[in-house]
Amino acid sequence: MAKPPFDNDIRTLRFLAGEMTQAELGERVGVTRQTIAAIEQGKYSPSLEVAFRIARVFGKPLEAVFQWNDGPG
Amino acid sequence: MSPAILESARQLADAEPGDLPMNFREKTAWLNVIAMAAAYSLYFGLLLAGHPAGREVLPMLWLFGSVAVAHAVTVIVGTIILSAQAPKSERARADERDRAIRRRGAAAAYYVLLVGMMVVGVYLPFVESGVALANCGLLAIVLAELVNSVVVLMSYRRGWHG
Repeated sequence: MAKPPFDNDIRTLRFLAGEMTQAELGERVGVTRQTIAAIEQGKYSPSLEVAFRIARVFGKPLEAVFQWNDGPG
Repeated sequence: MSPAILESARQLADAEPGDLPMNFREKTAWLNVIAMAAAYSLYFGLLLAGHPAGREVLPMLWLFGSVAVAHAVTVIVGTIILSAQAPKSERARADERDRAIRRRGAAAAYYVLLVGMMVVGVYLPFVESGVALANCGLLAIVLAELVNSVVVLMSYRRGWHG
C-alpha cells in the first residue's frame, strides 16, 4: 500500500499535549484508537472532517498537523 | 517552540511501537474467515469424496444444514467472546476507516459473486438435478464471502486510504 502524499505530526503533537494517548485522541475525535494509529503510520488518509477535528484538539491549523509532501512524482 | 524541543519530542514520539493494534472488527473478520473456511472446506471436501449430498436433495439439506448451523454457532459464540474482551469504545460503533474497509471488501466480493452466478447460469442448461446447481451457487457465495473477509483483513493490516 503506497503512503499518502502527505506526512503528519500527530505523534509529536500528542507528546507535546501531555503525552496524550491514541485512545484519548480517538475518543475526542470520534474514531477508534486503531484509526489514530493507522493515520499516524500513513496507513489511512482521514476524511477532511476528521483531519480538522484532530487539528482542533491540538489547537493548531490543519497545516501544522498534516504537511503535503512534494516527493518525486 | 524551539526546534531542539520539537526534534526531541519527535524522536520520543517515534520511539512508540509501530505495529497497528488489532481492533474488534479485525478480530471478528478473522473469526469469520477461519470459521467459514473450516466449515465449507469440510462441506465441499465431503462432496468431492463422494458424499450423497452432491447428488441427492435430502442428504444435501442435512449436510448443508448441519454445517451452516455449526458455522453460525461458532461465529456467534466467538463474537460474544471477542465482544466481551473488547473495550467498550471499540464495540460502540464502526468509524469511518472501518466503514471504508467494509465497503472495499463488499465491492471485491460483489465481483466474485457476479462471476459465480454467471457460471451457475451457464451451467444451468447442462444439469438435470438442482442439487449440483445449488452447490455451485453455494460455492460462489462462500468464495465471495471469503474474498470479502480477506480483503477486509488485508486492508486493516496493509492500510487502505478509503
